[in-house]
Amino acid sequence: MQTNVILSIAKKEIMDNIRNKWIILVSVMFALLTLVVSYFGSLASRGWQDLGFTISGMANLVTFLVPIIALMLAYAAIIGEIERGSMNSLLSLSATRFEIIIGKFLGLAGVLCFTIIIGFGAAGLMIAANVSNVNYADYGIFIGATMLLGLVFLSVALFFSTIFNKRSTAMGGAIFLWFLFNIILPIVFIGLLAATIDITKFALGNPIVVPDWYHALNLFNPTSVYSSLLTIAIGPVSSMNASSMIPAPAWYSSGLLIGVLLAGIIVFFVLAVWRFQRKDI
Amino acid sequence: MATQLVKCPTCKTTITVSGESGEKIFLTCPQCNQKGAFIIPEEKSAKTMGTNEATIEVNGLTKSYNHFTAVNNVSFAVKKGEIFGFLGPNGAGKTTTIKAMLDLIHANTGTIKINGIDVRTHGKEAKKYVGYMPEKVAFYDNLTALQNLRFYAEIKHAPKEECIHLIEEFGLGDTGKKRVGKFSKGMVQRLGMARAILGNPPILILDEPSGGLDPRGVVLIRDKILEMKKKGTTIFVSSHILSEIQEICDRVGIINKGLLVAQDTVEGLSKKLNLKPQITVTVGSMSAKIENAVKKLPGVDSVKTQGNTLEIVCDGTMKAKVILAISTAGGNIQNIQTKEPSLEEVFMRYTEA
Repeated sequence: MQTNVILSIAKKEIMDNIRNKWIILVSVMFALLTLVVSYFGSLASRGWQDLGFTISGMANLVTFLVPIIALMLAYAAIIGEIERGSMNSLLSLSATRFEIIIGKFLGLAGVLCFTIIIGFGAAGLMIAANVSNVNYADYGIFIGATMLLGLVFLSVALFFSTIFNKRSTAMGGAIFLWFLFNIILPIVFIGLLAATIDITKFALGNPIVVPDWYHALNLFNPTSVYSSLLTIAIGPVSSMNASSMIPAPAWYSSGLLIGVLLAGIIVFFVLAVWRFQRKDI
Repeated sequence: MATQLVKCPTCKTTITVSGESGEKIFLTCPQCNQKGAFIIPEEKSAKTMGTNEATIEVNGLTKSYNHFTAVNNVSFAVKKGEIFGFLGPNGAGKTTTIKAMLDLIHANTGTIKINGIDVRTHGKEAKKYVGYMPEKVAFYDNLTALQNLRFYAEIKHAPKEECIHLIEEFGLGDTGKKRVGKFSKGMVQRLGMARAILGNPPILILDEPSGGLDPRGVVLIRDKILEMKKKGTTIFVSSHILSEIQEICDRVGIINKGLLVAQDTVEGLSKKLNLKPQITVTVGSMSAKIENAVKKLPGVDSVKTQGNTLEIVCDGTMKAKVILAISTAGGNIQNIQTKEPSLEEVFMRYTEA
């Protein structure tokens, strides 16, 4: 494995996204959204809210926005190049398929992380300059967790990019994934929960006891893992997901949740490599 | 002349070195400027770069998609320094063969060797020797020509300065900051050829290199191919422009419905098909006597008369006898032309249903 080949491919991906202004657009969008949420997000008070409030306000948006941005960034990474014809030339050089895919992942991961750091970072600094209570550590955790969430979806999209034979199908797949993780899975899991627990006890005012299998199932949904991670590492984070209104179990820990997200990144990346190695170009 | 790939001991950049066997070549690494010398090994150069030794060897290549066999047991070899034309109708299996040669698709059976290295097991090593121009040339549309070429130069470990030189050479010097996405098809095609020869590879694989080019572009590519041949480059070229293939290729292979139906020189294939040259004779005044005199000659296959012109298909050795017969019959020969069997005729015969 030649690191210079990997770095050249990663550099090209970054350069390509700088030239198409993707990085600038998404960074500005993240920064503006953060500022809007911080300034206008509270009904109780006007003006800038502290970073803690901003995080809880942004968490909902992030679970919707970051996955779709990561999916759109990588869904065509492999199939797009194959369809356009540039993969032929790339593979005719003395670069292995593994070097190409890892270079692409690193480049796209760089683009995604850069936009998150710059977008949220710039907004965070602006908010910090206007409020007195600044908790940089919590905000750092928020940015870090957001990058992990983005990388999971990037890895998933890269895998999708290797299994489909058309760019348009891969795009459809990416959109389906977004619905799956943001809408379908939370509803299905809650539905399963409602079907298995005794609702009458809950209605009589007894504390709801959520079985462990429900929390275990939620570990398969990166957006739920992300929300739980923020709740455990920072504090309660509001969410539109019904599932995240249920308190996290005692056996959830930051380490476990970070591990789950990292495992997601690795598993889908390995699957992408496996599929790409066998693909006819 | 032998070509070797040498790794810089400092930065591990691969450098292409050309020279005679045993010749000491002084080098400067284009990446780190490390100076050094390299002696072209006599044994290796003789063994792997010998004039008669194949630099591309394809044996028993088969590739199937579900129940369709795109390439069926294809075998051929291309010798060092030769231009091998690869012909076939649309969908015959040309591009599939080329893709298998570069390990872009996984062949079902068969072996493919580039400079003696098995592409299927040591693809990375084998492809160091190859420059490739695909049928559908594509680049990164958001980048300029120079940015694109520099990217490929980095991966090929070719000197970056060569990119500027190639862009000028292929008439793209004035594109500046223009993105490749805004280039015309011809410009992209020329840039594709520049990418293929970047790093001066000892083997070129060109799939329809003249497709979409204007006549000036076609000449530019053809001249470049001939220039590369003079440098000792082995060239494998697939094209639909048969006249061009006939002009530049030493040998041709014809593939039809996945089977390699013929491979030889154009003359060799003509002989195998018993194709004969056509002699066209224009006389001052045509008569039945002249026509009959030619028809009676043994070895003449056919005679057609059009006005004062006779079109005679016969053995190449019959030319003198034809002239004598016409003169004896009172014909006043004003013009005589001989047309050898064309590659088009050979192609049509080998690919007819």
